[in-house]
Amino acid sequence: MTATATSPGVAAAAAPGTIQGARPPRAGKPKRRWTRTSIWGLLFTLPAALYVLIFHVIPVIYGFVLSFTKYSPLSRSGPEPIGLKNYTTLLSDPDFGNALLVTGRYVLQVLPITVIIALALALLVNRPFRGVGLFRSALYIPHIVSLTAVSMIWLWMYSHNGLINDVFAFFGLPDQSWLLNKGAALNAASAMRIWKALGSNMVLLLAGLQSIPKELYEATRVDGANRWQSFLYVTIPGIRPMLVYVVAMDIIYLAQGFAEIFVLTQGGPLGSTTTVNYLIYTQAFQYNQFGSASAMAFVLFAFIVGFSLLSIRGLMGRQK
Amino acid sequence: MRTTRRRRLAALAAAAAVATLLAACSSAAPENSSSPDGVKGKKITVWFPGTNQTEIDLVEKTIVPQFEKKTGATVDVAYYDWGDLSTKLNAAFAAGTAPDVFGHGPAAVADFVTNDRLEPLTRYVAAMPKKDREDLASALPGGQVGGVQYLMPLSMQGTSLVYRAADFTAAGLDPDNPPTTWEGVYKAAEKLTKRDASGKITHSGLLLPSQATGRQQTFAALIMSAGGSQVSTDMTKATFDSAKGVKAMNFFTKVYNGSDAVAAGLGSDYSDAPANQQPLVLGTASIAMQTADKTMQMIEANPDLDLRVMTPPKFEGAKKGYGLGGAGSGLMINADSTHKNLDWTFIKYMISAKVNAQYTEGIGKIPARTSAIKTDYVKGSPILSAFVKIGSDMRPNPNVPGWVQIRDTMDKYIEQGLHQQLPAEDALSQAADEANKILKANG
Repeated sequence: MTATATSPGVAAAAAPGTIQGARPPRAGKPKRRWTRTSIWGLLFTLPAALYVLIFHVIPVIYGFVLSFTKYSPLSRSGPEPIGLKNYTTLLSDPDFGNALLVTGRYVLQVLPITVIIALALALLVNRPFRGVGLFRSALYIPHIVSLTAVSMIWLWMYSHNGLINDVFAFFGLPDQSWLLNKGAALNAASAMRIWKALGSNMVLLLAGLQSIPKELYEATRVDGANRWQSFLYVTIPGIRPMLVYVVAMDIIYLAQGFAEIFVLTQGGPLGSTTTVNYLIYTQAFQYNQFGSASAMAFVLFAFIVGFSLLSIRGLMGRQK
Repeated sequence: MRTTRRRRLAALAAAAAVATLLAACSSAAPENSSSPDGVKGKKITVWFPGTNQTEIDLVEKTIVPQFEKKTGATVDVAYYDWGDLSTKLNAAFAAGTAPDVFGHGPAAVADFVTNDRLEPLTRYVAAMPKKDREDLASALPGGQVGGVQYLMPLSMQGTSLVYRAADFTAAGLDPDNPPTTWEGVYKAAEKLTKRDASGKITHSGLLLPSQATGRQQTFAALIMSAGGSQVSTDMTKATFDSAKGVKAMNFFTKVYNGSDAVAAGLGSDYSDAPANQQPLVLGTASIAMQTADKTMQMIEANPDLDLRVMTPPKFEGAKKGYGLGGAGSGLMINADSTHKNLDWTFIKYMISAKVNAQYTEGIGKIPARTSAIKTDYVKGSPILSAFVKIGSDMRPNPNVPGWVQIRDTMDKYIEQGLHQQLPAEDALSQAADEANKILKANG
């Protein structure tokens, strides 16, 4: 690309490190010049931009608008504006409050365990040993399988005549009602989710580990650092960007937990596994109340943003 | 030369425009409802609920081709999984692309009616021969909202107590004379229940559905058998928090709780388990509330199993016992359909005696017509015959707008009652308060 083939703005952006003031600033707004290259560039990016606009941005905006309305898709009159009523109703809705708590608990009890085990596994598979490829693949397989299919398998495993109770019986332990007990159901769903999330987290953290220059470890060894110290002062800072990504993505996925809840418990027993997303589903698709379901979705969105920012701050703050 | 070509083109364009206009006018014009030929050449779209391959094959390869041959009309059939059906229909209605005819369960009808999405079928039904109307009498009420027919049931559904005759004999009970009251059922269940040394139930005497939604269905059968109702006759007020409701709730709770419990696995969904995983087949229960089709599947998988069907028991002091049932899934006409005559012709064909027998036999359901008791399909199955025989003892859930939400609300509080987190009175009264709000909000 030559400077003559691009607009001044593009040229400036494409040349980081150029000395400011080397070229005299032009007075007024720079004149846009459409070149063949920029038109082609626009044409190539247009389909993707349109896709994002039509299938991502507009639905989100429309969902936000719907959250201020009363709307059933069966209604002939369309959405009726009701102001903030959907949001104020949520404030006093004990079911929604419970769902937020369940969602928060679900995230908090899955996230740390997943990340810690995934990191341990990543450290393990980061060293060469016989069958390491097979080991990595085996751990990654749960991530490839659909969450619904996995949930169906775990549903059987947790059932009265399932694998886990069979193992208990083998050791002479009494069988348990894993998914029917208020105190156990969310933990059971969490255990499944931890197993499911391990593979992808491990691979991402492994990529982070492999990006750390070996010279840093050699330097710490020369300086007399032990393994724990080199883990703390080289490994952790080295994988921190990846760790932040893993934590943020896990929060986003976990806070939207639905398929596993739908298959395993349908929100029960006694609402102990009713996540916000499950509540949104029932509100929208069982009761046709799209307005209040949209409001719930945006509160969940705020919840996820808050949770993610807090975690990212926590992780990045330590770096500072 | 060029002018001639232009003229020809103009003439062709004009002819095409006129033809298009005529075609548009002819399709928009109302059909001649009195003429049997009014449907010829027309095309409708029909959505069936469920993705049962046997049903798909039967409808697509036999029933629809027969109908098309007979009428000269075209029927485009699509099947949607029950779980996706409401979502697909909602999206289609919102987009204006809903099918001409669609199937759903009776619980969904009232919401469609409230939103003016259904064609009333009362006048079509009234035009049917009296003999047909009488034959469908048990099925029709389940498809009505406010006395108006909106859904034509294709089959019947019903739950009743099913029991293992061998267990009755082993426990010294007479399998030919099962109990006729819920109190009697409980006493029999006490004899049939087995416990281990620690007192834990290893074999349930009586299993009642206690999973999500199943709880409300069990409660509905119990309250009706106690002489109570779920909503007022004018469908404006919840009435399940009555003394009869409390009696039903207390009975349900007693089955699963305390030292005299006769069932294990509160909250466990045995009803939908595969035939060979059913407690009655595994021998882990002696009496269980079950549907006709699941019971038939159990017998089909285990022909030697002697299962019997009880007449729905009543509570002592009540007039009659009822099971939850009545109309099964059926077909409705989209109020915006432009081929209502053909829509009704298709529905009428589906519920005709011969086709309905063929259809229900193919999918293993209870026929919508009482006369089906004489068919080889029903006569050949003692289970099915027993369910058809008690068909008049089946009552559906109320068809009120917002019913699904009311049902889930009831379900939530019944669960709290069953887990003894709330006394029956409080659970039902709190449920009734919420149900009344939903009834009010839905007008």
